[in-house]
Amino acid sequence: MEKVIIIRYAEIHLKGKNRGYFERVFANNLEKALKGIRHEIHRTSGRYLVAAFDEERTYEIMGRVSKVFGVHSYSLGLLVASDEDSIFEAVKEVAPQSGTFKVETHRGDKHYPLTSMEISARIGGRLLDANAALKVDVHTPQHTVYIDVREGGKALVFGMFCNGVHGMPVSTAGRGLLLISGGIDSPVAGYMMAKRGMTVELLHFHSYPYTNEAAKEKVVTLAKIISDYTLVTRITTVSVTHIQEEIHKNCAAELNVTLLRRFMFRIAERVAAHVGAGCLVTGESLGQVASQTLEGLTSSNAVVSLPVLRPLIGFDKEDIVALAKKIGTFETSTLPYEDCCTVFLPDFPAIRPKLSFIEEEEKKLDVDALVEEALLTREIIRF
Amino acid sequence: MIYFDNAATTRPNGEALKRAAEFTTELYFNPSAKYGGGFAVFKKLGEMRDSLLKAAGAAGRFDLIFTSCGSEADNQAIFSAAKRGNAVTTAGEHAAVFSSFTELKNRGVEPRFAPIERDGSVKAESVLSLVDEKTSLVSVVHVNNETGAVNDIAAIAKAVKEKNPRTVFMSDGVQAFGKLPFSIPSEVDLYAVSAHKIGGLKGTGGLFKRKNLSLTPYIFGGGQENGLRSGTENTYGVAVFAYAAELKFRTLGEDAKRLERYREKLFAGLDRDVFTRISPENGSPYILTVSAEGMRGEVLQRMLWDRGLCVGTGSACSSKNRFSRVITACGYGERVLDGVIRMSFSPATTEEEIGEAIEILNATAREYQNTVLASRA
Repeated sequence: MEKVIIIRYAEIHLKGKNRGYFERVFANNLEKALKGIRHEIHRTSGRYLVAAFDEERTYEIMGRVSKVFGVHSYSLGLLVASDEDSIFEAVKEVAPQSGTFKVETHRGDKHYPLTSMEISARIGGRLLDANAALKVDVHTPQHTVYIDVREGGKALVFGMFCNGVHGMPVSTAGRGLLLISGGIDSPVAGYMMAKRGMTVELLHFHSYPYTNEAAKEKVVTLAKIISDYTLVTRITTVSVTHIQEEIHKNCAAELNVTLLRRFMFRIAERVAAHVGAGCLVTGESLGQVASQTLEGLTSSNAVVSLPVLRPLIGFDKEDIVALAKKIGTFETSTLPYEDCCTVFLPDFPAIRPKLSFIEEEEKKLDVDALVEEALLTREIIRF
Repeated sequence: MIYFDNAATTRPNGEALKRAAEFTTELYFNPSAKYGGGFAVFKKLGEMRDSLLKAAGAAGRFDLIFTSCGSEADNQAIFSAAKRGNAVTTAGEHAAVFSSFTELKNRGVEPRFAPIERDGSVKAESVLSLVDEKTSLVSVVHVNNETGAVNDIAAIAKAVKEKNPRTVFMSDGVQAFGKLPFSIPSEVDLYAVSAHKIGGLKGTGGLFKRKNLSLTPYIFGGGQENGLRSGTENTYGVAVFAYAAELKFRTLGEDAKRLERYREKLFAGLDRDVFTRISPENGSPYILTVSAEGMRGEVLQRMLWDRGLCVGTGSACSSKNRFSRVITACGYGERVLDGVIRMSFSPATTEEEIGEAIEILNATAREYQNTVLASRA
């Protein structure tokens, strides 16, 4: 009898001839997620087993598995020989001490001498004989004991299903560059894209000395939290201090943020080329702030040729907050270190800036030189 | 680097560290142990306590309880002395006192806050008008840690005792002890101090307590510090504290005079179009607080750091707690509050540093003006 963690995968089964590729990436991601803990991963038809693991760290392993995209559900169970006595011994371990129960059997090995119904009935009967405090209820049981008879004379026995995060294995859907601030939205946007299988690289803009080191540290903390999901462990940072100063000095105050965002997108496109990303990802949500109006988004899009994905575009703030709480970034995001000092914020930012006006104002700056200069401040932090 | 943030903490005194090192090598015994080694440490601890009492001019009149920091000393005093009725303090207190008074409300004692003057000091009348027959505690900070204003705690304590002799009077002396020529007046019952503001280490503080005043413990346990503060004594920290204080007190008068001159020289050199003075001229020689009106203190602070000058600040870029509570209570508006920076000195401060600091401050403020304030008009 061996303790195992049974992992079932989500959408991969929909894939036809590419299934093998998705399965290999998924297994690779599981390995990455469990790095540093003793374990083995075995593939059986339609599921993975984590075996020979450090039992003291069982719950840590389950916690990590719960964050791997592509996991539909997982269970802590026992792997035993498929003879009836061995299955019964395992069922005794898993079964409750009292209350109502039923046994549900799945029989993958069609050569097994008993049918699923027969196995359930016989094991259930023996369990009743062994423990008078148990009662059978096949309709609304308090507990269900699952038996999964596999090929090769093996069976899995477990007591519950835990929900996985679903989605597609990361790194099966290309590479994107997430513009991450210290706020609530962008980490959630990164999570959403990673959930669809994207490898999410990170880029953070700071404006020291107008923002402080704690703000940058906060972003690294956020990056670490989402790396449990995205499996990406590096972040690029670029200073936009001088750009902000130049905009502030030379251009119309109400376009401050709009112009800065255009610079950020230009720099992001360059960084994307460097990390091999084929799109930009932002946490923008329509109408949330002045720069996230249709006109604002249009003006940013106008300076790049890469597609810009905005997974949160139709989300309400409360939906984003709920997701941030679920993935564990909310508490860090709401720490009081601001990633954008209010020093440069105009009293009335333009809500519907006209592209012609923006371009006219931008002509007052040496855009290319400022972008090049900013790129010189690029740092890559690995964690 | 020029270090002008000595009110936040000071560089530990090297000589004191060296002298105290024996408590980390030979004299590591527990002072409560009943064998020779333990007794030797116990005896030394007593000597260090006496030397600090003597330095405070409090020998024979006061006891000294060692604590883990100034905040603990404040908390111990406040929650022990304010048990009923009301308790009076000022709007210019350090957070360790101010927040404890706010907490008193939850414990059934009414906190009362006396308004402060523009320089951060409190008038005796402001305190007295809040004191009545039900006042169990009055707490007045000795030196305001944000402006350097000095309160005449001897006079205020005397007046409080005349109005209600049963009132306990305490003072947070963290920015005064070892800096101002002073001995604890007999009208003061409790006086809180901290080691790391005068060359000692973080993690060591003390509460001077008038003899015969009864306190209740804040931390219970093995009964150390006469049962008032259990927990094995921080012998190394106490030793560094005592030795650093000894050195500090030796030149205290001269230091204060010299630093007062430096402080005035510094202010005189600052660009008047930019910097407004908040500290009073008769305040602590160790603190000069100014405001670069309309600038962000925190941003200025980081720019100064990058140019080799380390100063304190009274504001933050964060929208939460953006302004200093104390300077707000002094009655200043947002433009002044935004730009507050505090320069605080130590006896190690030199006249050359003052000269350099003036240049850095003026140049950095000009740069700030040119980049941030000079937007397209």
